[in-house]
Amino acid sequence: MSIMLEIENLQASIDDTPILRGLSLKVGAGEVHAIMGPNGSGKSTLAQVIAGHEDYRVTDGSVLFDGENLLDLAPEERARKGIFLGFQYPVEIPGVNNAYLLKAAVNARRTYQGQDEIDAFEFLKLAREKMSLLDMDPGFLNRGVNEGFSGGEKKRNEILQMALLEPRLAILDETDSGLDIDALKAVAKGVNALRDPQRSIVLVTHYQRLLDYIVPDYVHVLSKGRIVRSGDKSLALELEARGYDWVQEAVSA
Amino acid sequence: MSAAVLNQDLLEAAVGRLAADGLTDLRERALVRFGETGFPSVREENWRYTNLAAAVELSNAYLSDAPGAISATNVDISQLNDDIDAHWIVISSGVADPDALAALQDDGIVITPLSESNDSDQVCIDDPLSSFNAALLHDGLRVRVAENARIEKPIGFLLQDDAAATAGLSQTRIVVDLGRNASASFIELHRSGGDSAHFANSVVQMELDAGASANFVRIQERSTKHMQIGRLQARLQENTTFNFTTIDVGGKLIRNDVAVTIEGAHAVANVCGVYLADGNQHIDNHILLDHRVGPAVSMQDYRGIVGGRARCIFNGKALVREGADGTDAEQSNRNLLLSDTAEIDTKPELEIFADDVKCAHGTTVGQLDKKELFYLRSRGLSHEQARILLTRAFAGHILKKLPIENAKKYIDQLIERKLDQLTGDTDQ
Amino acid sequence: MSSEANDIDRLVNRRYEHGFVTDIESESLPPGLDEGVIRAISARKNEPEFMLEWRLKAYRHWLTLNEPNWAHVSYTPIDYQEISYFSAPKSDADRPKSLDEVDPKLLETYDKLGIPLHERARLAGVAVDAVFDSVSVATTFKDKLSEAGVIFCPFSEAVVNHPELVRKYLGSVVPYRDNFFATLNTAVFSDGSFVYIPKGVRCPMELSTYFRINAANTGQFERTLIIADEGSYVSYLEGCTAPMRDENQLHAAVVELVALKDAEIKYSTVQNWYPGDEEGKGGIFNFVTKRGDCRGDNAKISWTQVETGSAITWKYPSCILRGDNSVGEFYSVAVANNMQQADTGTKMIHIGKNTKSTIVSKGISAGKAQNAYRGLVRVMPQAANARNHTQCDSLLIGKQCGAHTFPYIETRNSSAQIEHEATTSKISADQLFYCRQRGISEEDAVNMIVNGFCKEVFKELPMEFAVEAQALLNVSLEGAVG
Repeated sequence: MSIMLEIENLQASIDDTPILRGLSLKVGAGEVHAIMGPNGSGKSTLAQVIAGHEDYRVTDGSVLFDGENLLDLAPEERARKGIFLGFQYPVEIPGVNNAYLLKAAVNARRTYQGQDEIDAFEFLKLAREKMSLLDMDPGFLNRGVNEGFSGGEKKRNEILQMALLEPRLAILDETDSGLDIDALKAVAKGVNALRDPQRSIVLVTHYQRLLDYIVPDYVHVLSKGRIVRSGDKSLALELEARGYDWVQEAVSA
Repeated sequence: MSAAVLNQDLLEAAVGRLAADGLTDLRERALVRFGETGFPSVREENWRYTNLAAAVELSNAYLSDAPGAISATNVDISQLNDDIDAHWIVISSGVADPDALAALQDDGIVITPLSESNDSDQVCIDDPLSSFNAALLHDGLRVRVAENARIEKPIGFLLQDDAAATAGLSQTRIVVDLGRNASASFIELHRSGGDSAHFANSVVQMELDAGASANFVRIQERSTKHMQIGRLQARLQENTTFNFTTIDVGGKLIRNDVAVTIEGAHAVANVCGVYLADGNQHIDNHILLDHRVGPAVSMQDYRGIVGGRARCIFNGKALVREGADGTDAEQSNRNLLLSDTAEIDTKPELEIFADDVKCAHGTTVGQLDKKELFYLRSRGLSHEQARILLTRAFAGHILKKLPIENAKKYIDQLIERKLDQLTGDTDQ
Repeated sequence: MSSEANDIDRLVNRRYEHGFVTDIESESLPPGLDEGVIRAISARKNEPEFMLEWRLKAYRHWLTLNEPNWAHVSYTPIDYQEISYFSAPKSDADRPKSLDEVDPKLLETYDKLGIPLHERARLAGVAVDAVFDSVSVATTFKDKLSEAGVIFCPFSEAVVNHPELVRKYLGSVVPYRDNFFATLNTAVFSDGSFVYIPKGVRCPMELSTYFRINAANTGQFERTLIIADEGSYVSYLEGCTAPMRDENQLHAAVVELVALKDAEIKYSTVQNWYPGDEEGKGGIFNFVTKRGDCRGDNAKISWTQVETGSAITWKYPSCILRGDNSVGEFYSVAVANNMQQADTGTKMIHIGKNTKSTIVSKGISAGKAQNAYRGLVRVMPQAANARNHTQCDSLLIGKQCGAHTFPYIETRNSSAQIEHEATTSKISADQLFYCRQRGISEEDAVNMIVNGFCKEVFKELPMEFAVEAQALLNVSLEGAVG
């Protein structure tokens, strides 16, 4: 199996405070990885660094995507190569039409891949297909980006964007937080529908609950900016039963 | 009303009659300075809504009569302490009883007459009212709070102008320094002793050194024959907190100028006020929050209830200078207008020269919320009861944030009395 | 942070697209202003005596006035004797009777501007009057309009052909003593557009005027008067451009709107006068007085403006809400980049009962520009149940610009309900990152966010104008943020 994402000894800091302290991870094509860990362990930082957020400074290590160095690329270039970040807190952009943003995003990706842009009709058709898959009201498209959305709507909107952009690597940052059980199921359904031998998914989550619905191939536990334990889905259940202290103690012991 | 001009010759003569002391040089400088500007007129943007002609005429009349000696004001201190528990200092025409000052000399706070403090160059004469004030000062107060001192009991200044028989004029100056990490609370209480016309002009200067925090509450319950211009300026260094609240229920013509300058990062300034006016009262609140350094936070929050033929003005400004990144400045001004002969003029200004800022203001003028009124009536309250309850709640918003607990009860009662008068006056 | 700074540079460094000069023979009065000049302008226009008298009264009053200095702008003093107060394409004597007779160079000019003067006008169904320097050069669709009884013609024609209407309404909204610039305009204005919509008529098409200053050292002083008689409706669009010149040029226009009972006027402006270069050299001084009078019950006047040009903008399109139930609206986008300075806003004067006003102002500052909103809402004692809602937002792009808000709210009626809200912020880094994570370039993301910020205003513009305004905004801010 080919390696899609290869992270080696990644160190990153924000405002000179180190967050990631030598993190290594390999994600193969078609795999689903779950990254778990207590608050402050660096889970979200990892997601933001892969997407290229400029507040984080990479001080050492490398991130390769399909063997190519990602760290020199602007966020939009990473996105066009097929990296998608589902945000933990999707920002509201007042006045900007959801459909407009999505169409611009889809066409940016298509242009990069040497395909023709799709027109408004094709786009709407495509969007409606994906929305029915996610049980979303088509009215969503005409609203401002996340403007006045409930927490659950914002997360669904992220999954809709993922479905439309068909990324090669999707990183979903705490997509389960703040969702009730029905919304969680709907989101999981959307993610599962996108599982594909050519597509990798990294789930960043605090709780095991999501993994009941999206079953990962691998589970990693993050602590103080490093992966301290890896295993299969049973590791998540063990964490649920014994808490994060167990892993942290095991490491420091 | 044509623009009245202060007679500079009379002023000069009056200044000359004041006894020579540590302030003589200051008075001379202030006199010259004032001569260059005179009183501001309504043609000046900051004074467009407030005409000082009556104050100027009164000043001319007072200055032409040789002013008598300052007589000590007769105040029942124990009653005052029942009203608000504080270290009270009674100030008459800027002069305080030396014994009262001596009684306070403990635990990190020193208050001396300004004339004896040897730093009259610290006395601000930058604006016309400040220079007028300094030129005619009998004396003032110099307050120093030592580094790390925490003064638990509020310091109270009672500005009671008796002006029993003749129209009067009084100048008060209080210059306060808070040392590093010091904290103290101040109350400035304005009252009238008699019922004749009076023009009081007060200036308070505050310097907060790094880490210091100060609370300042001004309560103004003068008679409706009195005019009062009160300026408060504060400079905030890093990590300081300044909470200011002004409560205006009395006075004929009231003008409050509050100017806070943020010179250090992580300073916090809360400037709040309530104004309740009826009859022919005129109350003008001007606030300038000058953000020179960021990050820092400021909030202006004023509420007014205006009836009768009264006119109230709110003019708040947040100025964010180039480089003051990380500034978060908010302004809110809400008003209830109770009569068609009353007037509210509100002007919340933002002047912003930095991009990493969050600034917002909101202003409303209107009536009580009909839905809230209905809700209360649906719970069995009469229209009248509901109206009074909601009106109190409207003013109560500011009182909830009052930084000096000791003053709360007194202010509550003061506002309640004024609201009874205000809401009783109107039919609806 | 640094990439943001680069983008700001990029966005700020952009060229003015309408900066060409048209090589047309023009005839100008020599620079200078005195009663002789005013008599010459009036004679040249074959004006009736009452017009000359009015102009002279204004001029004599103007001599007693000082230039206002309260706006948040600064500029080198204007020498009013250095300006030429009249310039016209030479062929004015035999002014074209139809578009076919218009100097082809002029048509070319308007083509370059993308103005639908010709065929496109027919397609778009917009009647256009074009004012070049100080005179009106062509009005389209005259026949169709006159069938409906609508008068849409150059101002100078209206003075000759409809003196009774001109006499009745001219100066009735903006009197000759109004303010320094309006008074100057009254004395020297040379042309402009005149519109009269008769009782009960809904004007069959959008009316539009394009203004262009071409000649050097020339001031443009046009005058627009629109009268909507009882129960009528008109939508009027105005666009402006000027060539790039190193010296400043003065534009002091006056627009008067009169809406009688049940009438509605919608007035839209896309102002793109030359803003000067990056160092602030050159550019138009745009000192304009625009005012509408809701003179009858249930009248409505709506101003929409997109201000991207001019070195200095000083204008406050206002509404006098005299009739009961009358409505005033002001929707504004003002962009100031490089060294531009804008001080703009509105006045809503509530006099009638149940009058309503809405103000939506979106200010964008970039480069070293200063952008101020200045507005007045005044509720008179007799204006029972007056309502106003104001939303006033500023967006800052870069560290050296300024955004200012000066609202005046004066309320003298206890049943009034006034709400004013304002915010100032920069484009959030989170919004930008979000868009870029979806593969959208930084510049496109900025345009998207800025357009979103202005959406409430753009949706008030007629369709063709909205597209133009959006494109103009993107060009104005090209290179400005990341």
